[in-house]
Amino acid sequence: MKVFLAALVFAAIVAVGTSIVLSAIQMPSYVAFSTSGARVGDPGDNLVGSDWTTTII
Amino acid sequence: MPSSLSKLRALSAAILLLFTFALPAAAQLSFKPTAEAVQEDKLLNALKEGDKISGRISIPDTNAANLIQPAGRDWRDFHRSKLPIIGGVAIIGMFALLAIFLMVRGRIRVDHGFSGTKILRFASFERFTHWLTASCFVVLALSGLNISFGRTLILPLVGANAFSAMSTWAKYAHDFLAFPFMLGLIVMFLIWIKDNIPGKLDLQWIKQGGGILANGQHPPARRFNAGQKGIFWIVIIGGTLMSVSGWFLLFPYLPANVTTMQFWTVIHAVIAMLFIAAMLAHIYIGSVGMEGAFDAMGTGEVDLNWAKEHHSLWVAEEQAKGQAPSGTAPRAVPAE
Repeated sequence: MKVFLAALVFAAIVAVGTSIVLSAIQMPSYVAFSTSGARVGDPGDNLVGSDWTTTII
Repeated sequence: MPSSLSKLRALSAAILLLFTFALPAAAQLSFKPTAEAVQEDKLLNALKEGDKISGRISIPDTNAANLIQPAGRDWRDFHRSKLPIIGGVAIIGMFALLAIFLMVRGRIRVDHGFSGTKILRFASFERFTHWLTASCFVVLALSGLNISFGRTLILPLVGANAFSAMSTWAKYAHDFLAFPFMLGLIVMFLIWIKDNIPGKLDLQWIKQGGGILANGQHPPARRFNAGQKGIFWIVIIGGTLMSVSGWFLLFPYLPANVTTMQFWTVIHAVIAMLFIAAMLAHIYIGSVGMEGAFDAMGTGEVDLNWAKEHHSLWVAEEQAKGQAPSGTAPRAVPAE
């Protein structure tokens, strides 16, 4: 059981570590794939906002 | 002055001559754009595999210049219609096969009963590597199946918001747990390759159906029998294909263009379905299907009688090295 739990913890550490490293060395897609003139600001998590299911009237 | 006049006449004659011959050609070039323009469907049908209609752009992403790539329709059709069939047949089919096998054959018991004497089958580091790879694989498989089937099977049950949140986290888990999975795969290959080279003994094991089809038959095997070697190579080859194709999906356009990307997504999806089906069989035989098998990866120690029945040559080798108990302890008899 200890070995199993150790493997789970190690997997989580490697996964989180990888995400931190990749986030540090990679550009966000809205920066990588557009020029600065085309951007109006940080689009956040997605381009439609958190209430993306709300009907726009 | 007369000279200038003659030059003017000559020039006028030349222009007249030009118009005389050029007019029929101009008449041929005149067309009605709306009437004679290429129809879109004809254009798309004329494009062959790998062809694209591209424009000119000024943004950094040069791939955005591709306006139409007809091969994308085949790729989309594969994901929407063929992949669910492949996945369904492989995974549901494997569940059905295992259920039938359990009903017909029943659980594979230790013929001579548990001896009560243990032998070390897998050391801590081996079990750590196994569970590292296995736990990542389970999350990768479930999150991957959500990508393929979630929209059809889960979205109607939980609603758009819950499905969106779940799929977002599943996607993060899929992306980043891929790395400890790949690490586990490499370590697994290094520590177990020496015991997984196929040999003549494996043919004998296969001819006898591994001894799992009938009670009391146990073909000799060293540390890993032919079935376990098969699982090892499925994991190594399948895992490598999943890793390479997954790497191309994590870092888009690393291999080449969009056509190559589509090829690797198909490889990723098909291998994933077959991989999951194979691992279902592995999980079954390592838990429900065979008595005493789970201990090998649970505590690392298996019963000596179990080891003698399924890995007789390995037990003999371990005993010769003095790393295993030599005899079989008397079987405990319950008091009447």
